[in-house]
Amino acid sequence: MISRIKLESSTKQFLALALALTVIMVVAGLATPGFLTYQHLTMVLYCNTMLGLLSLAQTLVILSGGLDLSIGSIYWISTMTGALLMLDGGTLLPALICLLIGAGIGFINGIAIAKAKIPHVVMTLAMLISLTGVLYVTTGGGGHGRATEELIAFSTGRVLGFPYISIVWIALTIIFFLVLKYTPFGWRIRAVGSNPVACRFSGIKVERIQILVYMLSGLLAATAGLLYLGWARTPYPTFQSGAGVGADVALKSIAAVIIGGTLFSGGRGGVERTFLGVLILACLYSILLMAGLGDEWQIMLSGIIIISVVVIYGRARST
Amino acid sequence: MAETTPIPRAQRKTISWLQKLWMALQTHYVYVILVLIWIISAIASPYFRMVPTYSNILTSAVPIALIGLAQTVVVISRGFDLSVGAVASMATAVASVAMVKGIIPSIILVLIIAVAIGAINGLGVTKLGINPFIMTLCMMFFLSGLNLLIRPSPGGYIPDNYKEVLLFQVGDFPLTAFLILVCTAIVGSILLQRRRLGREIYAVGGAPERARMSGINVDQTLIKTYIISAIASALGGLFIAARIGSGNAEAGAPYLFDSFTTVFMGGTLVTGGVGGYGGTLGAALIISSLGRILQFLGINIWNQFIAKGALLASVAGLQIYFARKGRQVE
Repeated sequence: MISRIKLESSTKQFLALALALTVIMVVAGLATPGFLTYQHLTMVLYCNTMLGLLSLAQTLVILSGGLDLSIGSIYWISTMTGALLMLDGGTLLPALICLLIGAGIGFINGIAIAKAKIPHVVMTLAMLISLTGVLYVTTGGGGHGRATEELIAFSTGRVLGFPYISIVWIALTIIFFLVLKYTPFGWRIRAVGSNPVACRFSGIKVERIQILVYMLSGLLAATAGLLYLGWARTPYPTFQSGAGVGADVALKSIAAVIIGGTLFSGGRGGVERTFLGVLILACLYSILLMAGLGDEWQIMLSGIIIISVVVIYGRARST
Repeated sequence: MAETTPIPRAQRKTISWLQKLWMALQTHYVYVILVLIWIISAIASPYFRMVPTYSNILTSAVPIALIGLAQTVVVISRGFDLSVGAVASMATAVASVAMVKGIIPSIILVLIIAVAIGAINGLGVTKLGINPFIMTLCMMFFLSGLNLLIRPSPGGYIPDNYKEVLLFQVGDFPLTAFLILVCTAIVGSILLQRRRLGREIYAVGGAPERARMSGINVDQTLIKTYIISAIASALGGLFIAARIGSGNAEAGAPYLFDSFTTVFMGGTLVTGGVGGYGGTLGAALIISSLGRILQFLGINIWNQFIAKGALLASVAGLQIYFARKGRQVE
């Protein structure tokens, strides 16, 4: 008997994603010469590292059955606080403070969602608008402060043409892939996302896991903010009136997670898929840019892509 | 939450008028808070003893109430509509472009687009089985991009007579705004409490499976819910257009936060099936009063953002706390 090679369905989906990414890249490469060069590809990687880290954080939250809309505003808070604190020199202490602030905001989110049972959409939306206010009250909205030379050197540095910060992104993706696959904490995140009631009965401290996940999300967002600070040197947050600072990045991170095939209902998916999701999104945006279509097209397209991906995955699962 | 706790007939006779009053105050607690806020601010400042202040509060409550109505209907059906703000922005953007050709046709155009948006939201949620949050988030995404294409920068033309009709005042009293609020109250309560569709929305939100088994067409009800929501948001947007006198692709975005705050403050439960428009209307008046008070106190816009976020979180938290406590008592 010939035994067929059996692949897990998750591995199959991962391969399908990789195939989709390759197709998009080849098409883009044929359409525009210079797309498939080492230089351009590392540039795409470099430009999307911050989005990648945010999407990584968003993946963890969505896997645990939650959602973090405030992720973009934590990112900007960290950037702006870092810029102001680094004026006095010193890189490590301001960076540490930023990370603490990020984790602290995540803790507030987590407590409110896990303990007070406020719906995650409502709580993180409230956090998003509050942080927008805090950002402008404390920093005046940008143009102040400056990254230190060490941070700039790290954020813009490359080894063999490969950006340092992208190495950080890839390393964190691998770490969280291993954490989700091989550690009890990782299994619990998935378990809480797929069935919180069963988790409670089997003795998992659901609230604690949820709070930890939101803290991790805040921490990763703050990390991304710091890396961006070194990149932008003196940052100006983009603010769409009323939507709040960083709402666009938060939405893009959700888009990347969903394109990667992580289920919005929690439990299934993974950070390695989100990695590919970010790259697919990045290539599509880059194609749009080359076609001369601006930001509003990116936003519109993100909406259409998410819906079509959700529908396609839904069909694939039901057959 | 009068509709959730019917009192047994035997008990009803023994209740004294004082208890009746107390119960009425409890059910309409939003209005008690509203009156308290007005009394306190009137004592504290002469500014809040003047009619123009209240006319301003009424006028700015109109879009909050309309978009709150949109969110109330959807939340009662156990959903979320994140596209309400974007639909309102769409209304201002389209109106500012189309009103050159004529007022009535462009209002009809806006409403047709709103029906289409609501139908797409509803179809996505029901027939494609997409999570309402994701569906409406994508709609918000899509519309905010589209709005920027229609109206890249704030501006455009809103006819003067359109503005005059919507902002019509008798003396200092904003008659049209007041009439609109009364209309939303009548339409909202009749729709939700008296019409078959309204009762079906409650049934679907309270227990979708039981609603299905008792012969309600759940999908159709939900699609209609999202269409109502989009129409109410678009009407809110049309009023915003008259107020700001131009089109703005992002004018409606802040109302998304306000819609959640009004819904939760008004006592509509996030778990679905409980609540009503009466509370939302009171909450809309509270929010526009609070906006006035913050403005009067000289608190800048960014601090107001912080206050708004904190208010939304605490209102949601309190409501969920009381709902859980109530369940434990039962």
